[in-house]
This record gives sequence, structure tokens and C-alpha cells, in this order.
Amino acid sequence: MAIHDQLLAAVDGRRGAEAADRLCDACVMLFDIDAAAISLVFDGSNSGTLGSSGQPARMYDELQFTLGEGPCLESVALRTPVLVADLADPDEGRWPIYGPALLSYQIRGVFAMPVLVAGEYIGALDLFRAQPGNLNGEHFAGAVVAAELAGVPMLDLLDADLQSAVNDPGSNAWTELHSLSRAEVSQATGMLVAQLGVEPAEALVRLRAHAYAVGRSSTDVARDILERRIKLEAD
Amino acid sequence: MTETPRETRVLDAVVSLVDSLLVDFDVVDLLTELTERCAALLDVESAGLLLVDPLEQLRLLAATSEETRELELFQLQADEGPCVDCYSTGQPVSVADIQAEADRWPRFVPAALDAGFASVHAVPMRAAGIVMGALNLFGTHPGALSDADLLVGQTLAHVASVAILQEHAPTPWTVMPQLRSALTGRILVEQAKGFLREILDVSVEDAFTLLRSYARANGEHLTDIARRLITDRHSRPVLIAAISEFASAQPS
Repeated sequence: MAIHDQLLAAVDGRRGAEAADRLCDACVMLFDIDAAAISLVFDGSNSGTLGSSGQPARMYDELQFTLGEGPCLESVALRTPVLVADLADPDEGRWPIYGPALLSYQIRGVFAMPVLVAGEYIGALDLFRAQPGNLNGEHFAGAVVAAELAGVPMLDLLDADLQSAVNDPGSNAWTELHSLSRAEVSQATGMLVAQLGVEPAEALVRLRAHAYAVGRSSTDVARDILERRIKLEAD
Repeated sequence: MTETPRETRVLDAVVSLVDSLLVDFDVVDLLTELTERCAALLDVESAGLLLVDPLEQLRLLAATSEETRELELFQLQADEGPCVDCYSTGQPVSVADIQAEADRWPRFVPAALDAGFASVHAVPMRAAGIVMGALNLFGTHPGALSDADLLVGQTLAHVASVAILQEHAPTPWTVMPQLRSALTGRILVEQAKGFLREILDVSVEDAFTLLRSYARANGEHLTDIARRLITDRHSRPVLIAAISEFASAQPS
């Protein structure tokens, strides 16, 4: 099974934190790394680890929010992948506190891929490895796919009603990403930003929540918003 | 044998050079090929690329010929000659008859005539508003560059500029994040269309035209305007006012 099929299989049928955990497990299995975590950095304050491959991964990941520096924070700030082949490299001084802390846990390689929701860089998929060295091309490409897929559980977790939702056997991350990447959905998201005075990610969460509530596709709801056939209420 | 039209030969050269930019390439090797293509397309005997160094001296990067006499001719232009003028003005320089310029360039002209050249031209290479160097062309008979020749020369000079600035060949580590970033730009533009539809009560099509012409009129990037409109609450009111004013000034 190709890498991206295995990543999809990990999240399909699951929602929120469980989907995020399983995606992290799949990353560890597929990319020659030792730990993976998905974390959110939203408007500075609302941040933290949403999913992980296990307790060590969660600890490596949460540490950056305690220390105020680390791969997820940097990847979101710079809007780019952050790739550190070896934290023990004397020239590698980007995290003066976080770097030595991870080295004390025997982590040498750290890689973060930004996660986007509604065009906003809102979090990252963080990968940790005990052995130094770069991700190879195939694993890097796979990690980019995993970060793309991570947008779906992240949307679940941003939606208060879906936060503790049970797994949904019908959920399909690929179909969902495809639907949410349509131009109409982005346009309707922009209209909601203007109507509700919220950020784009929040606007998309609202659009998607409405689609769930009425049992229609996000694309159909987007078209109705654009044609002013429906109007979502402000909170 | 039927002659291939020049248009086809120019496109063939551009496609082949740009093809090389998309895979692993060596900058000197590629630019040597570019000077060879240039000489063939423009009916000049010799072509060279001179690049400015950090001390603002023009230095030879690649040329059609490695002959000592010709290399010397390129090197002489660190001090005087058409490339120096082209570099300092940022404009093309075309000298139809070298002989007539002996007073202007007392060292360059005798050396060029000695080497058997009668005409010389220089086309600027630029990036980010900076002149990076010049594409230098030598002909064995007198004559100016036609407008069409100048366009071909300028096209190849642009390709050379891109090659120099992209010396690090694309890799999976750079290509995929760039693709994602480009697609994110499109998402922001779509959101901005919806946003303007709501605020200005225009169609999404008109919103796009408005955004694009506003960005161009202000020398800004379309995606930057979209990003500010969508994500920057502080500058949003001012930006909306500016776009509304721009819209009402447009002929409808």
C-alpha cells in the first residue's frame, strides 16, 4: 500500500483526537522516526498538543509550549517546514533551551510540517528521531501529505460540538479535504469572515458545523451562503 | 534544406534552457550553453555574461569562447566599455560601429578591433530592481541590434538571471512546500473574493477583477492584499476604504 493510502487508512472513520493519534502512529511506522505529535498554535494563547504517537511524543511536543520555543512554533511563525537533522550539531543553535532538553531525551532529529486550515498556518506535525540525519525524499513527501491530512482532525477539534464526538464510520479525510479545498468553500469562508467578524479558520469551522447539522455537503452550504440563501448567526 | 523560422529556434532555446532549470544544473555550464544559443540566434560571433561582484566590478561568468584574446576583451570591461555603461544605466547599449567610439573607450576599442570585431552590444540582467550584470554580444560586421534581436537578447538575459538566482536546484524539500504555499495563496484570494462580495455587494468575479487591479495599481501582490484583508483586523478598515474608493473610481 502506498504511503498516502496508509496515512488515509489511519484517519478514516475517526474524528478529532483519535484521528490525530492514529495519524501520528502511522507517521512513526512509515517515516523511520521514533515519535510524532500534532500541535495547534492558535492566536498565541490557545495552543497545545492535540494528538501524539504516545506519552514520550506528547512530552517532547508539550515541552515547546512550556519553554516558548520549538519546531511547531517556528514552523507556524515562518510558514515553512522546519528540518533539523541533528540537534547535537554545534552549529545548530536555534533552540538554546528546547534543543538541549530534547538531547537529554536522546532525540537528535526534529522535523515540523506546518498544518493549514482555511489558508491559516495554525499548527504543525512534529516528528522526532533518535538518530541524526535528514528525512529522505520519500519520507519528507509523506510527511507533507500527513500534515495536509492533519487539517481534518484539527478542524474537528476546533469545533466545540465535535470535540468529544465519537468516531464516525462514514468520515473520509480525502473526500473532506477535497470538498473543503473547493473555491466556493473558500469564498463562502471569506463572506463569513465579513459577516461574523471571525478568523478564517473559525469561519470554516462554522460552515462545516452547519453542513453537519443539516446533513448537507460543505460545498452545497458554501453555494447557499454565496447566493445569500442562508445566513449563519453570529455567536 | 529549409530554414527553421527564428521564432521556433528562439522558443526551442528558451524551452531547453528553462528545462535545465527544473532539474539539477551547473550554473556555469548552463550559462555557457546560453551564450552559445545567443550567438547562434542573434548572428553575433561571440557572446559573454558579465556579472557584478560585491565590489561592483564586472566579471566574466560564461562565454562562447575560451580564447585568451576574447576573454581579455571581456575582462577589459571591468573598467570601460559597453557593459560598464549598460550596468551603470540599466539600459541596453548597442554600438553599431566600434571604430567610431575610440575616444569614448580608449583601451576597449583597439582591443575589440584587434580581435576582429566591428560591433558590440550589451543587454542588462536584473533582479529585485538591482542590475546584476550584462549579456555582452560581439559582431564581426557593423550594424545595430534590431528590436527583434534586442527582445531575444533580453529574453535570454532574463533566463540567465533566473538561472543565477536559482542555482540551488529544486529538491523535494523545496518543491512541495512551495506548491503548498502557492495553493494557500489561492485559498486566500478566494476568501478575499467572498469577503469583498459581502462588504461591497459585488459578484465574486467582479471582486477578483477589483482585487487584481487594485493590487496592480498599488504595486502590491494580489495574495498579500488578500491576506491582509482576510487576516489583519488592524489594517482591514483602511484597506477596505482604499479598495472601495478605488472601485468607485473605476469606469463601470
